[in-house]
Amino acid sequence: NSAFFRSTLPVLPLLLVLSPVNSSSCAMENKTTEIHVKYENILIHDISELVNISAQNRDRCCKNKKHENIKVFFCNDTQEIESLQSMACNMLRFFHKQRISKAFRWKAAFVSCGTLQVLKCKCEGHRKER
Amino acid sequence: MLRMTQPSTVLSIFAMFLHTTFGESGCASADGDGTLGDDEPDNFDIDCFSQLDIKDPFSSLTCNFTELPPHNTTYTLSLCTKDDNKYTCDNMKKQEDAYFLQFTDILSNRDLCMFSETKRRVCRSLVVTHIVKPEAPFAINITYQREANEYLIRYRTPHSGKKYLEGKLIHQIAYRQKEGTWKTIESPHHHVRLLGQNLEKNASYEVKVRSQPNGKFFKGTWSEWSTSKSFRTAREQHSTESYSSVVMIILSILGFMLCIVMIALIIIFWENRIKPAVWPNLPDHKKTLEKLCKKPKNNFDISFNPESFGYVHIHKVDGIRAKAELENFLQPSIAPETSLPEKFRKGSDLKMIPAMTDKSNLNLSVTYGGIWPAEAPHRLLSTSQLAVTEENCSSSTYEVCHGNRVPLHNSGGSNLSSAPPLDPSGQPRPEPPNDDTVSQMLPNYEMRSPNNEEAYVTMSNFYKIQ
Repeated sequence: NSAFFRSTLPVLPLLLVLSPVNSSSCAMENKTTEIHVKYENILIHDISELVNISAQNRDRCCKNKKHENIKVFFCNDTQEIESLQSMACNMLRFFHKQRISKAFRWKAAFVSCGTLQVLKCKCEGHRKER
Repeated sequence: MLRMTQPSTVLSIFAMFLHTTFGESGCASADGDGTLGDDEPDNFDIDCFSQLDIKDPFSSLTCNFTELPPHNTTYTLSLCTKDDNKYTCDNMKKQEDAYFLQFTDILSNRDLCMFSETKRRVCRSLVVTHIVKPEAPFAINITYQREANEYLIRYRTPHSGKKYLEGKLIHQIAYRQKEGTWKTIESPHHHVRLLGQNLEKNASYEVKVRSQPNGKFFKGTWSEWSTSKSFRTAREQHSTESYSSVVMIILSILGFMLCIVMIALIIIFWENRIKPAVWPNLPDHKKTLEKLCKKPKNNFDISFNPESFGYVHIHKVDGIRAKAELENFLQPSIAPETSLPEKFRKGSDLKMIPAMTDKSNLNLSVTYGGIWPAEAPHRLLSTSQLAVTEENCSSSTYEVCHGNRVPLHNSGGSNLSSAPPLDPSGQPRPEPPNDDTVSQMLPNYEMRSPNNEEAYVTMSNFYKIQ
Protein backbone atom coordinates (compact mmCIF):
# COMPACT_ATOMS: atom_id res chain seq x y z
CA ASN A 1 0.00 0.00 0.00
CA SER A 2 2.69 2.50 0.77
CA ALA A 3 4.25 1.85 -2.56
CA PHE A 4 0.92 2.48 -4.31
CA PHE A 5 0.50 5.89 -2.77
CA ARG A 6 4.06 6.84 -3.44
CA SER A 7 3.67 5.97 -7.07
CA THR A 8 0.38 7.78 -7.63
CA LEU A 9 0.99 10.88 -5.63
CA PRO A 10 3.07 12.74 -8.29
CA VAL A 11 0.45 12.09 -10.89
CA LEU A 12 -1.86 14.59 -9.31
CA PRO A 13 0.36 17.60 -10.01
CA LEU A 14 0.84 16.36 -13.54
CA LEU A 15 -2.88 16.32 -14.01
CA LEU A 16 -3.01 19.81 -12.75
CA VAL A 17 -0.27 20.92 -15.10
CA LEU A 18 -1.44 18.97 -18.07
CA SER A 19 -5.04 19.93 -17.60
CA PRO A 20 -6.16 22.30 -20.26
CA VAL A 21 -6.17 26.02 -19.65
CA ASN A 22 -9.36 27.38 -18.21
CA SER A 23 -12.14 27.75 -20.85
CA SER A 24 -12.69 31.21 -22.28
CA SER A 25 -15.30 32.27 -19.77
CA CYS A 26 -16.00 35.93 -19.96
CA ALA A 27 -14.30 37.98 -17.33
CA MET A 28 -17.33 40.30 -17.10
CA GLU A 29 -19.60 37.53 -15.97
CA ASN A 30 -20.92 39.30 -12.90
CA LYS A 31 -20.39 42.87 -14.00
CA THR A 32 -23.66 43.54 -15.76
CA THR A 33 -23.74 47.21 -14.79
CA GLU A 34 -20.49 47.95 -16.53
CA ILE A 35 -21.59 45.93 -19.54
CA HIS A 36 -24.84 47.88 -19.68
CA VAL A 37 -23.10 51.25 -19.53
CA LYS A 38 -20.71 50.38 -22.35
CA TYR A 39 -23.56 49.05 -24.41
CA GLU A 40 -25.60 52.24 -23.96
CA ASN A 41 -22.78 54.63 -24.79
CA ILE A 42 -20.85 52.79 -27.51
CA LEU A 43 -22.18 49.47 -28.76
CA ILE A 44 -25.72 50.60 -29.40
CA HIS A 45 -24.66 53.02 -32.13
CA ASP A 46 -22.74 50.40 -34.07
CA ILE A 47 -25.51 47.86 -33.68
CA SER A 48 -28.01 50.42 -35.05
CA GLU A 49 -25.82 50.99 -38.08
CA LEU A 50 -25.53 47.23 -38.58
CA VAL A 51 -29.30 46.89 -38.44
CA ASN A 52 -29.71 49.66 -41.03
CA ILE A 53 -27.25 47.98 -43.37
CA SER A 54 -28.95 44.61 -42.99
CA ALA A 55 -32.34 46.28 -43.65
CA GLN A 56 -31.03 47.59 -46.94
CA ASN A 57 -29.94 44.09 -47.98
CA ARG A 58 -32.78 42.18 -46.35
CA ASP A 59 -33.47 39.71 -49.09
CA ARG A 60 -29.84 38.96 -49.71
CA CYS A 61 -29.10 37.85 -46.18
CA CYS A 62 -32.05 35.56 -45.60
CA LYS A 63 -32.09 33.39 -48.71
CA ASN A 64 -30.56 30.39 -46.94
CA LYS A 65 -33.36 27.91 -46.67
CA LYS A 66 -31.40 25.26 -44.93
CA HIS A 67 -31.68 27.06 -41.61
CA GLU A 68 -28.49 25.34 -40.55
CA ASN A 69 -27.36 28.40 -38.74
CA ILE A 70 -30.56 29.08 -36.94
CA LYS A 71 -29.03 28.27 -33.61
CA VAL A 72 -26.10 30.56 -34.26
CA PHE A 73 -27.81 33.69 -33.04
CA PHE A 74 -30.13 32.15 -30.49
CA CYS A 75 -30.20 33.73 -27.04
CA ASN A 76 -30.70 31.45 -24.08
CA ASP A 77 -32.45 32.73 -21.01
CA THR A 78 -30.26 33.20 -17.95
CA GLN A 79 -27.28 32.78 -20.23
CA GLU A 80 -27.18 36.16 -21.79
CA ILE A 81 -23.47 36.64 -21.65
CA GLU A 82 -22.72 33.20 -23.07
CA SER A 83 -25.28 33.82 -25.75
CA LEU A 84 -23.74 37.15 -26.64
CA GLN A 85 -20.33 35.55 -26.80
CA SER A 86 -21.64 32.83 -29.05
CA MET A 87 -23.36 35.29 -31.32
CA ALA A 88 -20.32 37.47 -31.63
CA CYS A 89 -18.04 34.56 -32.43
CA ASN A 90 -20.47 33.12 -34.94
CA MET A 91 -20.87 36.48 -36.63
CA LEU A 92 -17.16 36.63 -37.14
CA ARG A 93 -17.37 33.53 -39.25
CA PHE A 94 -19.22 35.49 -41.89
CA PHE A 95 -16.39 37.90 -42.33
CA HIS A 96 -14.95 35.95 -45.19
CA LYS A 97 -18.25 35.22 -46.88
CA GLN A 98 -17.88 37.01 -50.15
CA ARG A 99 -21.59 36.83 -50.92
CA ILE A 100 -22.31 39.30 -48.19
CA SER A 101 -21.63 42.97 -48.83
CA LYS A 102 -18.33 44.31 -47.68
CA ALA A 103 -19.85 47.11 -45.64
CA PHE A 104 -22.02 44.65 -43.77
CA ARG A 105 -19.15 42.29 -43.09
CA TRP A 106 -16.95 45.04 -41.77
CA LYS A 107 -19.64 46.44 -39.58
CA ALA A 108 -20.58 42.98 -38.31
CA ALA A 109 -16.97 42.30 -37.46
CA PHE A 110 -16.75 45.63 -35.71
CA VAL A 111 -19.79 44.86 -33.59
CA SER A 112 -18.57 41.35 -32.82
CA CYS A 113 -15.19 42.52 -31.70
CA GLY A 114 -16.75 45.28 -29.63
CA THR A 115 -19.09 42.81 -27.97
CA LEU A 116 -16.29 40.45 -27.10
CA GLN A 117 -14.28 43.37 -25.83
CA VAL A 118 -17.10 44.52 -23.56
CA LEU A 119 -17.65 41.00 -22.26
CA LYS A 120 -13.94 40.38 -22.12
CA CYS A 121 -14.41 37.08 -23.85
CA LYS A 122 -12.53 35.13 -26.45
CA CYS A 123 -13.74 32.85 -29.13
CA GLU A 124 -12.65 29.28 -28.75
CA GLY A 125 -10.91 28.00 -31.76
CA HIS A 126 -11.42 31.25 -33.73
CA ARG A 127 -9.31 34.21 -34.47
CA LYS A 128 -10.74 37.64 -34.09
CA GLU A 129 -10.38 39.52 -37.28
CA ARG A 130 -9.79 43.15 -37.22
CA MET B 1 9.92 0.83 -7.49
CA LEU B 2 11.74 3.35 -5.57
CA ARG B 3 13.86 4.29 -8.60
CA MET B 4 10.68 5.05 -10.65
CA THR B 5 9.03 7.20 -8.01
CA GLN B 6 11.97 9.49 -7.54
CA PRO B 7 12.07 10.83 -11.13
CA SER B 8 8.27 11.27 -11.19
CA THR B 9 8.40 13.22 -7.99
CA VAL B 10 11.02 15.54 -9.35
CA LEU B 11 9.08 15.96 -12.55
CA SER B 12 5.87 16.82 -10.76
CA ILE B 13 7.57 19.34 -8.56
CA PHE B 14 9.13 20.98 -11.62
CA ALA B 15 5.76 21.11 -13.32
CA MET B 16 4.19 22.78 -10.37
CA PHE B 17 6.96 25.31 -10.35
CA LEU B 18 6.31 26.09 -14.01
CA HIS B 19 2.58 26.42 -13.46
CA THR B 20 2.95 28.97 -10.81
CA THR B 21 5.45 30.98 -12.70
CA PHE B 22 3.56 30.96 -16.00
CA GLY B 23 0.10 31.84 -14.82
CA GLU B 24 -3.01 32.53 -16.90
CA SER B 25 -2.46 36.20 -16.60
CA GLY B 26 0.61 35.86 -18.65
CA CYS B 27 4.07 36.85 -17.92
CA ALA B 28 4.46 38.60 -14.61
CA SER B 29 6.63 41.59 -14.56
CA ALA B 30 8.84 42.71 -11.84
CA ASP B 31 6.61 45.65 -10.94
CA GLY B 32 3.67 43.40 -10.70
CA ASP B 33 1.15 45.67 -12.45
CA GLY B 34 0.91 43.55 -15.51
CA THR B 35 2.47 46.02 -17.85
CA LEU B 36 5.40 45.52 -20.00
CA GLY B 37 7.42 48.02 -18.18
CA ASP B 38 10.84 47.21 -17.01
CA ASP B 39 12.03 47.66 -13.61
CA GLU B 40 12.66 51.32 -14.08
CA PRO B 41 9.67 53.62 -13.47
CA ASP B 42 8.24 55.54 -16.42
CA ASN B 43 9.69 59.01 -16.54
CA PHE B 44 8.16 60.59 -19.58
CA ASP B 45 5.66 63.36 -19.31
CA ILE B 46 3.24 63.32 -22.13
CA ASP B 47 -0.18 64.80 -22.62
CA CYS B 48 -2.69 62.99 -24.82
CA PHE B 49 -6.24 63.51 -25.88
CA SER B 50 -8.65 61.52 -28.01
CA GLN B 51 -11.19 62.69 -30.56
CA LEU B 52 -13.99 60.23 -31.04
CA ASP B 53 -15.59 59.56 -34.38
CA ILE B 54 -13.58 62.28 -36.03
CA LYS B 55 -13.96 60.47 -39.35
CA ASP B 56 -16.35 57.53 -39.25
CA PRO B 57 -15.43 54.86 -38.11
CA PHE B 58 -12.08 56.16 -36.94
CA SER B 59 -11.18 57.98 -33.78
CA SER B 60 -7.89 59.70 -33.17
CA LEU B 61 -5.28 60.02 -30.47
CA THR B 62 -2.95 62.99 -30.23
CA CYS B 63 -0.04 63.19 -27.80
CA ASN B 64 2.39 65.94 -26.95
CA PHE B 65 5.45 65.81 -24.83
CA THR B 66 5.13 68.20 -21.96
CA GLU B 67 8.80 67.75 -21.32
CA LEU B 68 10.72 67.35 -24.46
CA PRO B 69 13.13 64.44 -24.48
CA PRO B 70 16.72 65.04 -25.30
CA HIS B 71 17.25 65.84 -28.95
CA ASN B 72 19.90 63.27 -29.41
CA THR B 73 17.52 60.45 -28.69
CA THR B 74 14.75 59.12 -30.84
CA TYR B 75 11.57 57.95 -29.32
CA THR B 76 8.63 56.06 -30.72
CA LEU B 77 5.20 56.32 -29.25
CA SER B 78 2.89 53.37 -29.70
CA LEU B 79 -0.62 52.57 -28.68
CA CYS B 80 -0.66 49.00 -27.54
CA THR B 81 -3.41 46.49 -26.81
CA LYS B 82 -2.89 43.41 -24.76
CA ASP B 83 -4.38 40.34 -26.37
CA ASP B 84 -3.72 36.83 -25.18
CA ASN B 85 -0.60 37.82 -23.35
CA LYS B 86 0.54 39.52 -26.45
CA TYR B 87 0.87 43.18 -27.05
CA THR B 88 -0.31 44.53 -30.30
CA CYS B 89 1.05 48.03 -30.82
CA ASP B 90 0.35 50.67 -33.37
CA ASN B 91 3.02 53.32 -33.85
CA MET B 92 1.90 56.90 -33.73
CA LYS B 93 2.87 59.25 -36.50
CA LYS B 94 4.90 62.27 -35.62
CA GLN B 95 3.45 65.56 -36.83
CA GLU B 96 5.68 68.45 -35.91
CA ASP B 97 5.75 68.34 -32.12
CA ALA B 98 2.82 65.97 -31.71
CA TYR B 99 2.14 62.30 -32.26
CA PHE B 100 -1.04 61.27 -34.02
CA LEU B 101 -2.83 57.98 -34.54
CA GLN B 102 -6.22 56.87 -35.92
CA PHE B 103 -7.96 53.77 -34.60
CA THR B 104 -11.40 52.18 -34.33
CA ASP B 105 -11.51 50.28 -31.04
CA ILE B 106 -12.42 52.63 -28.19
CA LEU B 107 -13.59 49.88 -25.84
CA SER B 108 -10.30 48.14 -25.18
CA ASN B 109 -7.98 49.20 -22.48
CA ARG B 110 -4.96 50.65 -24.14
CA ASP B 111 -1.39 51.28 -23.17
CA LEU B 112 0.72 54.10 -24.42
CA CYS B 113 4.27 52.94 -24.77
CA MET B 114 7.36 54.85 -25.59
CA PHE B 115 10.20 53.08 -27.22
CA SER B 116 13.66 54.47 -27.13
CA GLU B 117 16.56 53.66 -29.32
CA THR B 118 17.92 51.37 -26.70
CA LYS B 119 14.80 49.24 -27.06
CA ARG B 120 13.73 50.42 -23.72
CA ARG B 121 10.01 50.53 -23.47
CA VAL B 122 7.97 52.54 -21.05
CA CYS B 123 4.23 52.13 -21.02
CA ARG B 124 1.37 53.86 -19.41
CA SER B 125 -2.24 52.70 -19.27
CA LEU B 126 -4.67 54.75 -21.24
CA VAL B 127 -8.49 54.87 -21.31
CA VAL B 128 -9.50 56.46 -24.57
CA THR B 129 -12.98 57.44 -23.39
CA HIS B 130 -11.57 59.40 -20.45
CA ILE B 131 -9.36 61.80 -22.39
CA VAL B 132 -11.92 62.99 -24.92
CA LYS B 133 -11.49 66.47 -26.37
CA PRO B 134 -14.53 67.47 -28.42
CA GLU B 135 -14.39 69.51 -31.58
CA ALA B 136 -14.95 73.25 -31.28
CA PRO B 137 -18.46 74.65 -31.81
CA PHE B 138 -19.20 76.93 -34.74
CA ALA B 139 -21.88 79.11 -36.38
CA ILE B 140 -22.70 81.42 -33.46
CA ASN B 141 -25.89 83.39 -34.07
CA ILE B 142 -27.15 86.22 -31.85
CA THR B 143 -30.74 87.46 -32.00
CA TYR B 144 -32.27 90.30 -29.97
CA GLN B 145 -35.82 89.72 -28.73
CA ARG B 146 -37.28 93.14 -28.17
CA GLU B 147 -40.39 92.07 -26.31
CA ALA B 148 -38.48 90.12 -23.68
CA ASN B 149 -35.38 92.35 -23.85
CA GLU B 150 -33.19 89.24 -24.21
CA TYR B 151 -30.35 88.20 -26.46
CA LEU B 152 -30.68 84.65 -27.80
CA ILE B 153 -27.28 83.09 -28.57
CA ARG B 154 -27.40 79.93 -30.68
CA TYR B 155 -24.48 77.79 -31.87
CA ARG B 156 -23.77 74.46 -33.51
CA THR B 157 -21.40 71.58 -32.71
CA PRO B 158 -19.84 69.01 -35.12
CA HIS B 159 -20.93 66.20 -32.82
CA SER B 160 -24.64 66.79 -33.42
CA GLY B 161 -24.82 64.15 -36.16
CA LYS B 162 -22.17 61.78 -34.82
CA LYS B 163 -22.44 58.56 -32.87
CA TYR B 164 -20.88 58.88 -29.46
CA LEU B 165 -20.95 62.50 -28.15
CA GLU B 166 -24.33 63.76 -29.32
CA GLY B 167 -26.22 64.96 -26.27
CA LYS B 168 -23.31 64.13 -23.99
CA LEU B 169 -21.56 67.50 -24.04
CA ILE B 170 -21.78 70.59 -21.90
CA HIS B 171 -21.14 73.98 -23.53
CA GLN B 172 -19.55 77.05 -22.05
CA ILE B 173 -20.45 80.50 -23.42
CA ALA B 174 -18.10 83.35 -22.68
CA TYR B 175 -19.04 86.99 -23.32
CA ARG B 176 -17.54 90.34 -22.50
CA GLN B 177 -17.78 93.94 -23.36
CA LYS B 178 -15.03 95.19 -25.59
CA GLU B 179 -11.72 94.84 -23.76
CA GLY B 180 -13.57 93.85 -20.62
CA THR B 181 -13.59 90.81 -18.36
CA TRP B 182 -14.93 87.53 -19.65
CA LYS B 183 -18.08 86.14 -18.10
CA THR B 184 -19.13 82.54 -18.63
CA ILE B 185 -22.38 80.60 -18.75
CA GLU B 186 -22.67 76.80 -19.08
CA SER B 187 -25.49 74.99 -20.78
CA PRO B 188 -26.14 71.44 -22.07
CA HIS B 189 -28.28 72.87 -24.87
CA HIS B 190 -27.35 74.57 -28.08
CA HIS B 191 -28.63 78.01 -27.06
CA VAL B 192 -28.36 80.50 -24.24
CA ARG B 193 -30.25 83.71 -23.34
CA LEU B 194 -28.63 86.84 -22.03
CA LEU B 195 -30.86 89.29 -20.22
CA GLY B 196 -30.76 92.78 -21.64
CA GLN B 197 -30.98 94.35 -18.19
CA ASN B 198 -27.64 92.78 -17.33
CA LEU B 199 -25.93 94.31 -20.33
CA GLU B 200 -25.09 97.87 -21.03
CA LYS B 201 -27.21 99.71 -23.53
CA ASN B 202 -25.79 100.56 -26.91
CA ALA B 203 -22.51 98.74 -26.20
CA SER B 204 -20.41 96.29 -28.21
CA TYR B 205 -20.05 92.73 -26.90
CA GLU B 206 -18.03 89.66 -27.91
CA VAL B 207 -19.14 86.03 -27.56
CA LYS B 208 -17.35 82.65 -27.94
CA VAL B 209 -18.25 79.01 -27.09
CA ARG B 210 -16.46 75.75 -26.24
CA SER B 211 -17.53 72.20 -25.25
CA GLN B 212 -16.59 69.41 -22.86
CA PRO B 213 -17.89 65.86 -22.18
CA ASN B 214 -20.46 65.87 -19.42
CA GLY B 215 -18.52 63.28 -17.37
CA LYS B 216 -21.20 60.60 -17.10
CA PHE B 217 -19.34 58.11 -19.31
CA PHE B 218 -17.11 60.19 -21.49
CA LYS B 219 -14.62 62.38 -19.73
CA GLY B 220 -12.08 64.76 -21.02
CA THR B 221 -11.04 68.36 -21.51
CA TRP B 222 -12.49 71.54 -23.01
CA SER B 223 -12.47 71.90 -26.71
CA GLU B 224 -10.90 74.82 -28.49
CA TRP B 225 -12.84 78.11 -28.44
CA SER B 226 -15.10 78.83 -31.33
CA THR B 227 -14.65 81.86 -33.52
CA SER B 228 -15.72 85.00 -31.62
CA LYS B 229 -18.86 86.81 -32.66
CA SER B 230 -19.53 90.47 -31.88
CA PHE B 231 -22.87 92.21 -31.44
CA ARG B 232 -24.17 95.57 -30.27
CA THR B 233 -26.83 95.92 -27.63
CA ALA B 234 -29.97 97.92 -28.29
CA ARG B 235 -30.43 101.47 -27.19
CA GLU B 236 -32.43 102.22 -24.13
CA GLN B 237 -36.11 102.00 -24.82
CA HIS B 238 -37.71 105.40 -24.41
CA SER B 239 -40.67 105.64 -22.18
CA THR B 240 -42.61 107.19 -25.00
CA GLU B 241 -42.18 104.09 -27.14
CA SER B 242 -43.58 101.90 -24.44
CA TYR B 243 -46.19 104.50 -23.64
CA SER B 244 -47.28 104.74 -27.26
CA SER B 245 -47.53 100.99 -27.49
CA VAL B 246 -49.68 100.92 -24.34
CA VAL B 247 -51.87 103.70 -25.74
CA MET B 248 -52.28 101.84 -28.99
CA ILE B 249 -53.30 98.74 -27.16
CA ILE B 250 -55.83 100.63 -25.06
CA LEU B 251 -57.25 102.40 -28.11
CA SER B 252 -57.59 99.21 -30.02
CA ILE B 253 -59.40 97.58 -27.11
CA LEU B 254 -61.73 100.57 -26.75
CA GLY B 255 -62.42 100.61 -30.46
CA PHE B 256 -63.24 96.95 -30.41
CA MET B 257 -65.59 97.37 -27.48
CA LEU B 258 -67.24 100.37 -29.17
CA CYS B 259 -67.85 98.32 -32.27
CA ILE B 260 -69.50 95.63 -30.21
CA VAL B 261 -71.71 98.20 -28.45
CA MET B 262 -72.70 99.77 -31.76
CA ILE B 263 -73.61 96.44 -33.21
CA ALA B 264 -75.71 95.63 -30.17
CA LEU B 265 -77.51 98.97 -30.35
CA ILE B 266 -78.22 98.52 -34.04
CA ILE B 267 -79.66 95.12 -33.41
CA ILE B 268 -81.82 96.36 -30.54
CA PHE B 269 -83.18 99.52 -32.19
CA TRP B 270 -83.38 98.27 -35.74
CA GLU B 271 -87.07 97.58 -35.89
CA ASN B 272 -88.35 100.48 -33.85
CA ARG B 273 -86.18 103.44 -34.79
CA ILE B 274 -83.58 102.86 -37.41
CA LYS B 275 -85.60 101.10 -40.05
CA PRO B 276 -88.51 103.60 -39.95
CA ALA B 277 -86.06 106.48 -40.31
CA VAL B 278 -84.14 104.96 -43.17
CA TRP B 279 -87.10 103.42 -44.94
CA PRO B 280 -90.14 105.39 -43.87
CA ASN B 281 -93.41 103.65 -44.28
CA LEU B 282 -95.65 105.00 -46.97
CA PRO B 283 -98.69 106.56 -45.39
CA ASP B 284 -101.92 104.81 -45.66
CA HIS B 285 -104.25 107.02 -47.55
CA LYS B 286 -107.28 105.85 -45.70
CA LYS B 287 -105.77 106.54 -42.35
CA THR B 288 -104.42 109.86 -43.45
CA LEU B 289 -107.80 110.98 -44.67
CA GLU B 290 -109.40 109.84 -41.49
CA LYS B 291 -107.04 112.08 -39.58
CA LEU B 292 -107.56 115.05 -41.80
CA CYS B 293 -111.28 114.87 -42.16
CA LYS B 294 -113.28 116.13 -39.26
CA LYS B 295 -116.03 113.91 -38.38
CA PRO B 296 -119.27 115.66 -38.22
CA LYS B 297 -121.08 115.92 -35.01
CA ASN B 298 -123.44 113.24 -34.13
CA ASN B 299 -126.34 115.56 -34.32
CA PHE B 300 -125.54 116.44 -37.85
CA ASP B 301 -127.99 115.12 -40.27
CA ILE B 302 -126.17 114.93 -43.49
CA SER B 303 -128.09 113.88 -46.45
CA PHE B 304 -127.85 114.30 -50.15
CA ASN B 305 -131.52 114.02 -50.63
CA PRO B 306 -132.67 117.17 -52.40
CA GLU B 307 -135.98 117.11 -50.60
CA SER B 308 -134.22 117.65 -47.30
CA PHE B 309 -132.92 120.95 -48.58
CA GLY B 310 -136.35 122.31 -49.21
CA TYR B 311 -135.92 125.18 -46.81
CA VAL B 312 -132.74 126.23 -48.46
CA HIS B 313 -132.90 128.78 -51.14
CA ILE B 314 -131.03 127.39 -54.01
CA HIS B 315 -130.35 129.69 -56.84
CA LYS B 316 -128.93 128.57 -60.02
CA VAL B 317 -126.55 130.96 -61.40
CA ASP B 318 -125.97 131.65 -65.01
CA GLY B 319 -122.46 132.96 -64.99
CA ILE B 320 -122.43 134.64 -68.38
CA ARG B 321 -125.80 136.26 -68.02
CA ALA B 322 -124.89 137.55 -64.61
CA LYS B 323 -121.88 139.22 -66.01
CA ALA B 324 -123.81 140.93 -68.76
CA GLU B 325 -126.44 142.26 -66.39
CA LEU B 326 -123.80 143.50 -64.14
CA GLU B 327 -122.19 145.48 -66.87
CA ASN B 328 -125.51 147.02 -67.80
CA PHE B 329 -126.03 147.96 -64.27
CA LEU B 330 -122.69 149.58 -63.92
CA GLN B 331 -122.78 151.76 -67.06
CA PRO B 332 -125.16 154.55 -65.84
CA SER B 333 -123.11 155.05 -62.84
CA ILE B 334 -119.64 155.48 -64.23
CA ALA B 335 -118.93 158.77 -62.43
CA PRO B 336 -119.47 157.56 -58.97
CA GLU B 337 -117.54 154.56 -59.88
CA THR B 338 -114.43 156.50 -60.42
CA SER B 339 -114.51 157.68 -56.88
CA LEU B 340 -114.25 154.17 -55.61
CA PRO B 341 -110.96 152.79 -54.70
CA GLU B 342 -109.17 151.13 -57.46
CA LYS B 343 -109.34 147.78 -55.99
CA PHE B 344 -113.00 147.64 -56.25
CA ARG B 345 -113.02 148.39 -59.91
CA LYS B 346 -111.29 145.26 -60.75
CA GLY B 347 -112.25 141.90 -59.80
CA SER B 348 -114.87 139.52 -60.60
CA ASP B 349 -117.85 139.87 -62.75
CA LEU B 350 -119.75 141.23 -59.85
CA LYS B 351 -118.40 144.70 -59.73
CA MET B 352 -118.81 146.89 -56.86
CA ILE B 353 -121.95 148.81 -57.13
CA PRO B 354 -121.28 152.41 -56.40
CA ALA B 355 -122.58 153.30 -53.08
CA MET B 356 -123.54 156.83 -53.79
CA THR B 357 -126.05 156.57 -56.45
CA ASP B 358 -129.11 158.29 -57.16
CA LYS B 359 -131.58 156.32 -55.40
CA SER B 360 -134.28 157.30 -57.55
CA ASN B 361 -132.56 156.46 -60.69
CA LEU B 362 -131.01 153.37 -59.54
CA ASN B 363 -132.16 150.45 -61.37
CA LEU B 364 -131.20 147.21 -60.06
CA SER B 365 -131.20 144.39 -62.35
CA VAL B 366 -131.28 141.08 -60.90
CA THR B 367 -130.73 138.39 -63.27
CA TYR B 368 -130.90 134.92 -62.22
CA GLY B 369 -130.77 131.92 -64.15
CA GLY B 370 -133.03 130.26 -61.79
CA ILE B 371 -135.93 130.65 -59.60
CA TRP B 372 -136.52 133.92 -57.94
CA PRO B 373 -136.60 133.03 -54.38
CA ALA B 374 -139.73 134.02 -52.61
CA GLU B 375 -137.93 135.25 -49.63
CA ALA B 376 -135.50 137.25 -51.57
CA PRO B 377 -137.65 140.36 -51.79
CA HIS B 378 -138.35 140.10 -48.11
CA ARG B 379 -134.79 140.03 -47.36
CA LEU B 380 -134.24 142.81 -49.70
CA LEU B 381 -136.75 144.88 -47.88
CA SER B 382 -135.23 144.04 -44.54
CA THR B 383 -132.03 145.42 -45.65
CA SER B 384 -133.55 148.81 -46.21
CA GLN B 385 -132.00 149.95 -43.08
CA LEU B 386 -128.63 149.40 -44.47
CA ALA B 387 -126.78 152.32 -45.77
CA VAL B 388 -124.06 151.68 -48.10
CA THR B 389 -121.60 154.36 -48.02
CA GLU B 390 -118.63 154.88 -50.04
CA GLU B 391 -116.38 154.58 -47.10
CA ASN B 392 -117.78 151.32 -45.92
CA CYS B 393 -117.06 149.33 -48.95
CA SER B 394 -114.79 147.17 -47.10
CA SER B 395 -114.64 143.53 -47.13
CA SER B 396 -117.36 143.27 -44.56
CA THR B 397 -119.68 145.50 -46.46
CA TYR B 398 -118.67 144.17 -49.77
CA GLU B 399 -121.19 141.51 -49.46
CA VAL B 400 -123.77 144.09 -48.54
CA CYS B 401 -122.89 146.22 -51.47
CA HIS B 402 -122.94 143.13 -53.56
CA GLY B 403 -125.98 141.81 -52.06
CA ASN B 404 -128.05 144.98 -51.93
CA ARG B 405 -126.49 147.21 -54.55
CA VAL B 406 -128.35 150.06 -53.13
CA PRO B 407 -129.71 151.01 -49.85
CA LEU B 408 -133.28 150.21 -49.76
CA HIS B 409 -135.81 152.62 -48.79
CA ASN B 410 -138.73 151.42 -46.93
CA SER B 411 -141.27 153.20 -48.87
CA GLY B 412 -143.85 151.35 -46.98
CA GLY B 413 -145.59 150.57 -50.04
CA SER B 414 -142.92 148.82 -51.68
CA ASN B 415 -144.46 146.27 -53.44
CA LEU B 416 -142.44 143.38 -53.49
CA SER B 417 -145.04 141.51 -55.01
CA SER B 418 -143.78 142.95 -58.12
CA ALA B 419 -141.40 140.15 -58.22
CA PRO B 420 -140.81 139.31 -61.71
CA PRO B 421 -142.91 136.48 -62.78
CA LEU B 422 -141.24 133.31 -63.58
CA ASP B 423 -140.85 132.22 -67.06
CA PRO B 424 -141.73 128.81 -67.90
CA SER B 425 -138.09 128.24 -68.16
CA GLY B 426 -137.58 129.46 -64.75
CA GLN B 427 -135.99 132.61 -65.81
CA PRO B 428 -137.46 135.69 -64.39
CA ARG B 429 -138.68 138.13 -66.90
CA PRO B 430 -137.16 141.48 -66.56
CA GLU B 431 -139.65 144.07 -65.52
CA PRO B 432 -139.45 147.65 -66.34
CA PRO B 433 -138.04 149.58 -63.57
CA ASN B 434 -140.42 151.34 -61.35
CA ASP B 435 -139.48 154.48 -59.55
CA ASP B 436 -141.45 153.54 -56.57
CA THR B 437 -140.39 150.18 -56.40
CA VAL B 438 -137.08 149.12 -55.98
CA SER B 439 -136.38 145.90 -57.26
CA GLN B 440 -133.25 144.51 -56.59
CA MET B 441 -131.90 142.03 -58.81
CA LEU B 442 -129.47 140.42 -56.72
CA PRO B 443 -127.21 138.04 -58.18
CA ASN B 444 -127.43 135.58 -55.40
CA TYR B 445 -124.58 133.35 -55.92
CA GLU B 446 -124.57 132.13 -52.46
CA MET B 447 -126.55 132.20 -49.33
CA ARG B 448 -124.44 132.20 -46.35
CA SER B 449 -127.15 132.41 -43.76
CA PRO B 450 -130.84 132.79 -43.37
CA ASN B 451 -130.11 136.48 -42.87
CA ASN B 452 -131.14 138.55 -45.85
CA GLU B 453 -127.79 140.15 -45.91
CA GLU B 454 -126.13 137.03 -47.17
CA ALA B 455 -127.41 135.70 -50.37
CA TYR B 456 -124.66 133.19 -51.09
CA VAL B 457 -125.12 129.60 -50.35
CA THR B 458 -122.24 127.53 -49.34
CA MET B 459 -121.82 124.02 -48.17
CA SER B 460 -120.93 125.23 -44.77
CA ASN B 461 -124.36 126.78 -44.49
CA PHE B 462 -125.81 123.35 -44.43
CA TYR B 463 -124.00 122.60 -41.23
CA LYS B 464 -125.10 125.94 -39.76
CA ILE B 465 -128.67 125.56 -40.83
CA GLN B 466 -128.80 122.18 -39.22
